[in-house]
Amino acid sequence: MTKPDEIVPGVATYYASSFVKGGDYCPVLVKTREGRPIKIEGNVLSPLTKGGTSARAQASVLELYDVNRNKMSGAIGENGAITGMSWADLDKAVMGKLNSGSKIRIVTNTVLSPTTKKVFAEFQAKYPNTKVVTYDPISSSAILEANEKSFGDRIIPDYHFDKADTIVSFGADFLGTWISPIEYAAAYAKGRKINAKRPKMSRHFQIETGMTLTGSNADNRVLIKPSEMGAAIATLYSAMGGSVSAPKLNAKATKALNKIASQLRGSRGNSIVVSSSNNVMEQIMVNKINEMAGNLGKTVTFTHGSLQRQGIDGEIQNLITDMQGGSVDAVIVMDANPAYDLYNSNKFITAFAKVPLKISLSYDVNETMALCDYIAPTHHYLESWGDAEPKRGHYSIIQPTIQPLFPTRQAEASLLTWAASGNYKADAEQPYYEYLRNNWNNSMFGSQSNYASFRSFWDETLHDGVANLGAAAREYTSCAASVNAGQITQPSNAEIEIDFLESVNIGAGQYANNPWLLEMPDPVTRTTWGNYLGVPVKFDGKNTFVGFKGIGANMVKGYADVVNLTQGGAEDATPITAFPQFGQPEGTVATSLGFGRKTCGDAGRNIGTNMFPYLSADQNGNTQYFATNVEVSDIVDINYDFPCVQYHHTLGVTAKDAEGKEYNADEAALVDFSYGVVDQGYQGSLTNRSVIYTTNLNDLPAEIAHIEEKRAEAQHLNSKTLYPGHEYLYENGHHWGMYVDMNACTGCSACTVACMAENNVPVVGAKEVSRHHEMTWLRIDRYFYGDADNPNTAYQPMMCQHCDNAPCENVCPVAATNHSSEGLNQMAYNRCVGTRYCANNCPYKVRRFNWLDYTTADIFPANQIDLNEESVPYGADNLTRMVLNPDVTVRSRGVIEKCSFCVQRIQEGKLTAKREQRKLRDQDVKTACQTACPTGAIVFGDLNNKKGELNKALDHNPLVYIALEEINVQSSVRYTAVVNNRDESLDA
Amino acid sequence: MSAIVSPVRKPLITGSKSYHDITEDLISPTEKTPNALWVITFLMSISLLGFGLFCIAWTIWNGIGTWNLNRTIGWGWDITNFVWWIGIGHAGTLISAILLLFRQKWRTGVNRAAEAMTIFAVICAALFPGIHVGRAWVVFYFFPYPNTRGPLWVNFNSPLLWDLFAISTYFTVSLLFWYTGLVPDFATVRDRATGFRKSIYNFLSFGWTGSAKHWQRWESLSLVLAGLATPLVLSVHTIVSFDFATSVIPGWHTTIFPPYFVAGAIFSGFAMVLTLMIITRKVLSLEDYITIEHVESMNKVILVTGTMVGVAYLTELFIAWYSGYVYEQFAFFNRALGPYWWSYFGMMFCNVLSPQFFWSKKIRRSLTWTFFLSIVVNIGMWFERFVIIATTLARDYLPSSWSYYTPTWVEIGIYLGTIGLFFTLYLGFTRVAPVVAVAEVKSILKSSGDQYVGPNAHKHVSHDANKHGAGTTVDIDENPETKI
Repeated sequence: MTKPDEIVPGVATYYASSFVKGGDYCPVLVKTREGRPIKIEGNVLSPLTKGGTSARAQASVLELYDVNRNKMSGAIGENGAITGMSWADLDKAVMGKLNSGSKIRIVTNTVLSPTTKKVFAEFQAKYPNTKVVTYDPISSSAILEANEKSFGDRIIPDYHFDKADTIVSFGADFLGTWISPIEYAAAYAKGRKINAKRPKMSRHFQIETGMTLTGSNADNRVLIKPSEMGAAIATLYSAMGGSVSAPKLNAKATKALNKIASQLRGSRGNSIVVSSSNNVMEQIMVNKINEMAGNLGKTVTFTHGSLQRQGIDGEIQNLITDMQGGSVDAVIVMDANPAYDLYNSNKFITAFAKVPLKISLSYDVNETMALCDYIAPTHHYLESWGDAEPKRGHYSIIQPTIQPLFPTRQAEASLLTWAASGNYKADAEQPYYEYLRNNWNNSMFGSQSNYASFRSFWDETLHDGVANLGAAAREYTSCAASVNAGQITQPSNAEIEIDFLESVNIGAGQYANNPWLLEMPDPVTRTTWGNYLGVPVKFDGKNTFVGFKGIGANMVKGYADVVNLTQGGAEDATPITAFPQFGQPEGTVATSLGFGRKTCGDAGRNIGTNMFPYLSADQNGNTQYFATNVEVSDIVDINYDFPCVQYHHTLGVTAKDAEGKEYNADEAALVDFSYGVVDQGYQGSLTNRSVIYTTNLNDLPAEIAHIEEKRAEAQHLNSKTLYPGHEYLYENGHHWGMYVDMNACTGCSACTVACMAENNVPVVGAKEVSRHHEMTWLRIDRYFYGDADNPNTAYQPMMCQHCDNAPCENVCPVAATNHSSEGLNQMAYNRCVGTRYCANNCPYKVRRFNWLDYTTADIFPANQIDLNEESVPYGADNLTRMVLNPDVTVRSRGVIEKCSFCVQRIQEGKLTAKREQRKLRDQDVKTACQTACPTGAIVFGDLNNKKGELNKALDHNPLVYIALEEINVQSSVRYTAVVNNRDESLDA
Repeated sequence: MSAIVSPVRKPLITGSKSYHDITEDLISPTEKTPNALWVITFLMSISLLGFGLFCIAWTIWNGIGTWNLNRTIGWGWDITNFVWWIGIGHAGTLISAILLLFRQKWRTGVNRAAEAMTIFAVICAALFPGIHVGRAWVVFYFFPYPNTRGPLWVNFNSPLLWDLFAISTYFTVSLLFWYTGLVPDFATVRDRATGFRKSIYNFLSFGWTGSAKHWQRWESLSLVLAGLATPLVLSVHTIVSFDFATSVIPGWHTTIFPPYFVAGAIFSGFAMVLTLMIITRKVLSLEDYITIEHVESMNKVILVTGTMVGVAYLTELFIAWYSGYVYEQFAFFNRALGPYWWSYFGMMFCNVLSPQFFWSKKIRRSLTWTFFLSIVVNIGMWFERFVIIATTLARDYLPSSWSYYTPTWVEIGIYLGTIGLFFTLYLGFTRVAPVVAVAEVKSILKSSGDQYVGPNAHKHVSHDANKHGAGTTVDIDENPETKI
C-alpha cells in the first residue's frame, strides 16, 4: 500500500472549500484527519466573512455522517420506502419518461453556483420546456421585486453595516439569519467594538416584535405588533419627508420613529436602513428612506449585490397552479422541501401528486422526497465539486475532502446525465470536476487579469478557495418606484398576534436533523430541541414579573406552562410550551419556524411544532411571517421537561416608580410575599455582582470609574491572601489567557458549536438538557438589563476560566484536575472518580459531569437506560463517530470535563514550532471558539507575550474586567464591560 | 460498702434491682425467640435495605444520571444524607467518651445503644461517599498507598480526603470503644449459654474471666479510648464542615461552620438516641434502666445544642448582612426566601423552635413529647443539611446557571435503604448483644440504684428514697442476700 503524499497520520490537512446550503454561504477550510473531514474553519482569505463562521457552517460537517442521509438511488414506494436501483437503471427509467417536449420544473432554493446554472441551461437545451423554480423558505422575494421596480436590478443590495453610524432594521435579523449574517456580523462589530479613549459606536435601532438575535444586540428596540411593520416603515418614510399617509401605529413607536428620522437626516450617507419585510411596497419605501438618508451608493450599494437570496415566492405558487392544472410532466426537486416549508404546503402536496414524474435529488430525507417517485441522492458538499457566487464578482470553490461515503451522485451530474450533455464526460475519473474546471476556463478565467495561464489561476483559486474577479460597476442613487400606501400591510385589530422568526439554529427546517444545532441553545431564548412560544412579561411595578396569562410562574424550577394555540377558530388546538420572553410587546407572542418536521432523520423528527401552516401570503403572493388569526389559551398543562438551559434571565433590569425615578426591579423582585406565603416568581436577585458590567455610552466615564473602583477593591482584598508571593510561578514560559470582547459578541453561538465539534462534546438530547445535563464546554450566558419592559441584552461567552488559584483543583481528592506550568487548568479523565466537588466549587459553573453514558465509552456495555429513547446515544454510532477529533479523548460516564483552552491545539502549535526550531509565535495557536467567531470577539494568547494580540487588546483598556475578581480565583479570562448606545430619549 | 445518696439526684436504676435482676433483664433478650413486633420490624427494615441496595445497583449500573442532580447542583440528597447520618453518629461517642471523662453516671444506661447507633449511623453515612461518585469502581484512588500509577498520590489539600481520614478514624475508634465495652458483657452471655452459642460468645469475649487484672486493663483501655475519642467528637464534624467551609461558594464559605456543625451533630445524635431509646426501653422492658431521668438529661442536651444551632443560624444571617458581600447576602436571602424557602422554614421550626419546648420540665419528662420532638429534630437536621447543600448550590454566583432540583425515586430509595440498613443492624444488635451495658450498670447500682437507698430497700419502695435527708448513709452490706 502506498501512503498518499498529502496524508501524514496524526497531522491534519486543510482544504479550502465553501459551505453552501440554499442561499446560506460560508467560505471554509475543512480540517481532515487521515482522510476524514472533522472540523470546519473559516477561510480568512474571504473578503466577505474574513474567516468568520456561523453555527450552521460549523455544524455542517456532522451532516456528512448523518446516519439517515439518502444512501442509494432508487424508486420510492407509497410509504416512502426506497427500492434500490442502480444509477444506470435509474437513468434509464428517468430518461425513458422524459422527451424533448416534456414540461419539466426544477424546484430549488437559491442556487449560488454559476456552474450549476450552466447545468440548468444545458438541461433546458435538451428539454426546452424546462423551467427552474427558485424560492426560499424564508423569503426575500419582496426585496428582489422592490429593487427591480426601484432600480431595475433584481438583486439584494450589498449592505455595509461597518460604514453606518445609524443602523435601522425593520425586523431584519442580519446578525443571526438574514441573508448573509456572517458577513454582516463582521462588519457590524466594527462599529460596536469600543475604544474607551475615543468612545464612538454605531447606534442600532431595531423595530420588531419577537426578539431576534439582532434585536437583542440593538441599542433600542422599538416594539410593534407584526402587522404594524408596514405602518412603521411608512411612518419613518413619512417622517423623513416622504409623501405618504402612514397607517396608525402605536404612539410610542410613532414617537420613536420620528426621532429616528431626525437622526437619519442628521447623518446623511452614514446610516443604513434594512428590512426583512416581505411586502414589496414596504421594501420600496425602505429604498426611498435609504435614498433620502443618502445611503444609496454609500452603505447600500449594488455593484457587489448579493445573490444569496434569489427566490421569488410567486414562482413556486405558479408551479402549484401549473401542477394542479396538470400542465407539468415532471418535477425535479433539487435542494428544497416545499412539501414542508410553504405556507400552503398542503396545496403543494395535493398538486404535486398530479405530476407523472417526480424526482428528488435530495441529500437527506424530507417531506418532499417522500412524495417523489425516484430518489437520485446527491453528495454532501464535503464530497462535492462546485462553486458559488455569493455576491457579484465574489467567487468561491467547493472541493471534495473525502470520497463519497455512499453510492450517491452529485445533483448536477444527474442533471447532466439526463440532459445527455456532450460536455459531460461521464466516464472521466472525476466527471463533474472536469465540467466545473472547463466552465471556469470558459467563463471566469477570462474575467480576470492576474493569471496568464488557466492552470495557475485554477490552482491558486482552488488553493485559496475564494476569488474576487470584480464586477461591473452598478450603482443607483435614486429609487424610481412610486409609493402607494395602499399596498402595505395594514395594522390589525386582533387581540393577539404571533410573529414567526427564523431559527438561528435550524433555519427554516433545512438544518433540523442536526443534533449539534438542536442541542445548541437558541441564543435569545436559551431553549433547545424545539420551538416554544415566547409571551410578554411585565414588571408589575412593585415586586413581581408577571408573564402573560401567568405563564412562567414556575420557571425557577424549570417547569414551563403549556398553552393551546388555535388558528382562525379551528377546532384543533396545538399544545405548545410557552415561556416569558423579555422584550416581547404586549398583545403579541412569537416562536420559531423550522421545527415540527414529520419526515426527517431521527434527530429532527417531531421536534417542536411546525408553524408554516400559520403563515399566509399578501396580495402579491409573498409569504408573510406573522399571523393575526390566532388564539392563545390559558395554561392547560405543565411541561416538566422544558429543555431550557437558563432559568433566570435578568441582571440589573430597572423600572420606574410613580415619580419616574428609576429603581432596580431585580432587587425589588427579590422577595415577594403574597397572602403570607413566600412566592418568589422566577426573577429577582441582588445585582451588584461583578459578573457583567453594563453601561450606556453617555455614562462611560462613570462606568470606567466604577469598574476601576470595584477592581481596586477586589485586588485589595486579594492582596490579603494567606499565601502571597506565588506570582513568579507563571512568569516564565507561556501563560495562556483569553480576552472576550462582549461588545463584539453578538451571541450567534458559532463558538458553541465549534467547541462541540473540536472537543467531541456529546449531544445529550432534550430530556437530558431539561434536567440541566447539557455538556457544552462553552456556553453563552444571556442577561437582560436596563428597562424591564424593553431591556438591552448582554451576551457573555462562559468557558473554563483557567483560574491560577483554581477552586476546583484543591478540592479534588485525587488530584484529577490540576494546574499546568502554563496556567492551564487540566483534567485527567482517567484519574477522575467523579465526586463532582470541583463542579460545586466552580464559581462559573463551567464544569460538566458525564451523568450517563453519553458516548458509549463506558466500561459497562449496554447500560443506557432509554437515553433519548434511542438504542444508542446521539453520535455514538459508527458513522457519526467518524466526526470525532482524534486528538481529544472521548469521555466516559462518571467523569468531569470542561474547556481545556483547546490544549490539543496548543500542543500541536508547540510541536510544530519545535520541529521548525523556532519559538511559538503569537497567534500560532488559536482556540476553536476564536477561529469560529465572525466578529473577532475572542482572542486567545500568551499573557506573558507582551507584544501579542492578547496583551494588545488588554493593555490600558479600562473596560476590561475579570468576572468575580473578588473571590481571588485569578481567572485567566478577561471580559469587557458591555456598552450600549441606547437613545434614552426614545424611552421617555 | 455504703453510698451517699443526695436527695437531689434521682436514682438512675429503679425497680429495686439486684445484680442478678440486672443480668436477667439485660441478657435475656439475646436468649429468647424474638417477638412478633421485632420480626415485623426486622422484615420491614430488611425490605427497605433490599430496595436501597437495588437503587444503589441501579445507580452504579446506569450512572449518577439516574439521580436528578445537575450541572449546577452536584450534590443533593446523597451528601445531605451523608452529613445527616454522620451527625446522628455523634451522640454515641459523646456519651461514651466525654460523659465518661466527666463522670456522668447516667450515661451507663444509654451508652451501649448510643454507641451501636453511632457505628451503624457511620456505616450508613460512609456508604454515600462511596456510591455518590461517578465511577464507584475506582474509589480506591482515594486511599494514599504506594501504587504503580506513578506512584500517584492523593491530593492532601482536599477536604474530601480529610473527611475520609476523619470518618475512618472515628469509625475505628468508635468501634473499638464499643467492642471493648461489650467484652465483659459477652462473657456474661457466654456464662449463661451452652453449646455452639457458648463457643461463639467465648470467642467474642476474648476468653474474659473477670479477673481483677482483666477489669483493671479493661478500665484503663476504656479511659485511653475515651481520651482518644473525645477530640474525635469535635473533629469529625469539624472536618465534615470543611467540605463546605473551605470552598468558595457563598453560604458554604463560612468560618462558623465547625462549631455549628458539631453542635448540630450532637443535637441530632441525641435526638436519634432518644427516638431509639424510647422504643427500645418499651419493647425490651428496660424502663428501670433507661429512666425518665435519662430522657430528661438528654432533652437538656438537645435544648442546649438546639439553641446553639439557632444562634449559629442567626449569626450567619447577621454576618451575611454585616459583610456587605452581595453574594453572601443573596445566598441567605435565597435560603430563607428563595424557591427552597420551605426547607429553611422547616429547618428553623424543627431545630430552633421545637427544642424550646424543653424549657418546660413537664415536656422534658414526657415520653410522648420527647418522642415526637426527637423525630421533629431529626427532620429539622435533615432540612438543615439540605438547605446548606442543595439550596446553596442551586443559586450561587452566576444567575445564568441557577437551577432547581428534586430527587428521583432512586435517590429517595437509597435514603430509605440506609434507614433500612440502620434498623436492620440495630435490630440485629438487640438480638446478639445486651443493649444496656450490663457491667457498667452494675457498677453504678450501689451508688445510684434505688434499692440500696433507705431502710425499706428490700420492700421495693424506691419512691421513698427521696424521703431521706441529705447525707443519709445506707449500709448495703446489711443485706447479705443480695444476689449477683
